[in-house]
Amino acid sequence: MVAKVARKVSGWIGWAFFLDLLDGLSLTLSYMFSKTITERYPDDEKWIPFPRYRGHHFLKSNAEGKTNCVACELCSRICPCRCITVVPHEDEDGERHPQVFEIDLGRCLFCGLCEDACPADAIALGRHYEFCDHDSKTLVVGRDALMAMPGKVERGGEVVAARLSTEVGVTVTATGDGEGVDWWRHIRRR
Amino acid sequence: MESFFAIGLIIGKLAVVIAILLVLPIPLTWIERKIAGHIQQRLGPMRVGWHGLLQPLADGIKLLTKEDHIPTEADRFLFTLAPIIALVPPFLVFVAIPIGDSVTIFGTEITLYLADMNVGLLYILAVAGIEVYGVIFAGWASNSKYAVLGSLRTCAQMISYEIPMGFSVIGVVMLAHSMSLLDIVEAQAGLWNVVYQPLGFFVFFVAGLAEAQRIPFDLPEAEGDLCAGYHTEYSGIRFSFFMISEYLIVVFLSALIVLLFFGGWHGILIPLPPVVWFLLKLSFFIWVFMWLRFTFPRYRYDQLMSIGWKVLLPLSLANILISGIFML
Ligand code: SF4
Ligand code: SF4
Repeated sequence: MVAKVARKVSGWIGWAFFLDLLDGLSLTLSYMFSKTITERYPDDEKWIPFPRYRGHHFLKSNAEGKTNCVACELCSRICPCRCITVVPHEDEDGERHPQVFEIDLGRCLFCGLCEDACPADAIALGRHYEFCDHDSKTLVVGRDALMAMPGKVERGGEVVAARLSTEVGVTVTATGDGEGVDWWRHIRRR
Repeated sequence: MESFFAIGLIIGKLAVVIAILLVLPIPLTWIERKIAGHIQQRLGPMRVGWHGLLQPLADGIKLLTKEDHIPTEADRFLFTLAPIIALVPPFLVFVAIPIGDSVTIFGTEITLYLADMNVGLLYILAVAGIEVYGVIFAGWASNSKYAVLGSLRTCAQMISYEIPMGFSVIGVVMLAHSMSLLDIVEAQAGLWNVVYQPLGFFVFFVAGLAEAQRIPFDLPEAEGDLCAGYHTEYSGIRFSFFMISEYLIVVFLSALIVLLFFGGWHGILIPLPPVVWFLLKLSFFIWVFMWLRFTFPRYRYDQLMSIGWKVLLPLSLANILISGIFML
């Protein structure tokens, strides 16, 4: 009973002196002078995605520099968007490889089914995510370009120093030693 | 020769004041966006110029080059008149606002105010009230339901908040025995009015927030329920008139709070030039206005009215009564 009255009285005092408003003000004040969490992309910083990230496809190659792909066309079959074209051929060593291997990234929905379906561990979705273009034709990527694409990251999930360059196209390239910082470091979690 | 010089001085001061007032919204928008950003742990504008300093200029150019559109259904005369009515009173108000006593430059004494009226406070409150007409005309002339709703809300809000605002300064006038702002500031040389009149200050501050149509009382331009309220149909340069007027009202209210309740240009402890003291306090209150804006949600409309009539009005009357009893 006493506790209830005390709570009621303190509630009225709080109401009369706008304690909840002051609470809000002090919270925003502390935020005003805390560190910002903005990722300054593309000017100064860039996000390195996690290994599970599904970005631009790449074709893995073996020790001889040939692609792992055996042109079985399974990826092409499973693709829900029908965006992979594979034309098999037999090379001089008698191995089966794709002569043509094209992915139309304009139609791809980055589901990763092709990666799951591949029996030869040849195709995967990598770390690259800056490939928008004005022309949908340039989004059709061929075999050699796919082999040259960067693969998955080992650690990822960090923000690294980067620089925006508009000299050749528009690229955001990482600068420095690639040591990243955790983006979550200034975020308060309760 | 003497009078010629005096007239020249007045014109010069006028030109300086107008120039400053026209330029002032530019840094204020930048500061407001920076404060908004940092309260939300963002950086605010960063890309145009160093830390986004040139962003207001870019925005200004954008506003100037945008199409100046008048809806076909609008009342063209009132529609073009409204932004001007909204813009002129904030400029007029600054005629009566002193920023210091006087300074001596090259052996001539220059007063830091344009006019020392013996009814300065009355003049300020009256002229500031005219600004509302701009808002009402804008809403009416636009012939759009959102704009009309916004300006109706403005009408109601103004009526309920002008009264407590006017009452809350009476205590200050009683203490100073004068309505001239110079006398009011001089009367605070010893102790600031906020010590004698905490209630008056509180009422004035809250009513001032409502006057300036700032959050938490920005019902007339509530984005969520009214698009943009009374300036929904405005674009380009006319819209920027409303913007400038809003920022100037914030500056003017901060100046008035400093003059009436926080000792004007009288400093405490640290001896700084009076003008510096005044500007410091002024910027502090501008900052407080912006800080409030990004902290509080908007009040509901009935809450707004009941705060005005049921809380602020009795409080301001009580303030007059208490001041009167103490003065006897
Ligand atoms: S990610 Fe999905 S949509 Fe894209 S190519 Fe692979 S299977 Fe097709
Ligand atoms: S990438 Fe894999 S699934 Fe696709 S054709 Fe080559 S081996 Fe077959």
